[in-house]
Amino acid sequence: MRTAVVMPAFNEAEALPGVLAELAEAVPDHEVIVVDDGSSDGTAGVAAAAGVTCLRLPFNLGIGGALRLGFRYAADEGFDRAYQFDADGQHDPSQIATLLAGLEHADMVVGTRFTTGDAGDPGSGEGAYRVGRSRNLAMGVLRWLVRRATGHRFTDTSSGFRALRRPVLELFATDYPVEYMDSVEALLLAVRHGFTVIEVPVRMRERRGGRPSNRNLRLAYHFVRVLIVLTAGLGRRNRLGVVV
Amino acid sequence: MTGTAHLVFAVLALLALVLIINLVRLQALKAKYSVLWLTVGALLAVAAAVPGVLDWVADQVGVAYQPALFLLLGFGFLLLLAMHFSYELSRLETRVRTLAEELALLHHELDDQQD
Repeated sequence: MRTAVVMPAFNEAEALPGVLAELAEAVPDHEVIVVDDGSSDGTAGVAAAAGVTCLRLPFNLGIGGALRLGFRYAADEGFDRAYQFDADGQHDPSQIATLLAGLEHADMVVGTRFTTGDAGDPGSGEGAYRVGRSRNLAMGVLRWLVRRATGHRFTDTSSGFRALRRPVLELFATDYPVEYMDSVEALLLAVRHGFTVIEVPVRMRERRGGRPSNRNLRLAYHFVRVLIVLTAGLGRRNRLGVVV
Repeated sequence: MTGTAHLVFAVLALLALVLIINLVRLQALKAKYSVLWLTVGALLAVAAAVPGVLDWVADQVGVAYQPALFLLLGFGFLLLLAMHFSYELSRLETRVRTLAEELALLHHELDDQQD
């Protein structure tokens, strides 16, 4: 079974070598695909020096665009499964096995920072992850809406630590949402295409390099945009006759 | 309208028409936009050249205050145009994204072959 690691990287030259080294040690048989999202700090060179596949976008497309390219490449190259892994060191290689084990029971697995899963109060327990208050509120509203839209209770809709099997990979290769807050939309996309999506609790770390990609105004704008997607998209059909 | 104001507007409309025709002639505007703008230019020219025409149209559709009709039409036109541009922009963005993806993949293939 061939496993692809899709890793979008925007100006992550500082953190990337460490992350790649850790991955090479933890999962040597997984093939890393770095998608350089128009970096200006030599991220592509760092990836090339580490000997991993690097796709260079001519300009910044945002995380969703970079992910879609990575999935497209993985699908074209015939990978059986893939998982997303952050280039900033936020994800812990020791948790990959946990994530991939989930694929035995589902088409897509989301690693949640909140350990409680389907049973109530998020934010406590071993993997507890601290987030700001307004962000927490926004995430709460999203959780609730996603639950209304999908019928599933996801605790961490914005988690970027996700694994997918081939059928989902093929869907994401062409249809992965490219706007900011892609993770929420991707969740809906997979569920609405009839794929089973589950969450597994994982530990995450503080990011090592780069900057958090959230500006408040931008966050607010895209929050509203996702609300519209969540409500307007319900029951609508696209040209292919597939509920999206 | 006084005679002077009338003259000024007629000249302005004429200038707009000349500009549009020139852009179309130089093929700086795509054909589909040129039709649109030529129509607008022609309407402006007619409205400016024939003083009573706007009053007459307003009268026909039952608008008592003629400038309101002019502003309403202008606003409606600009709104439609803005919506059309948003639509075109969305389409272009999708295409540019796909092109960027293709470029990255081709680049990678090229690198592979050179190794």
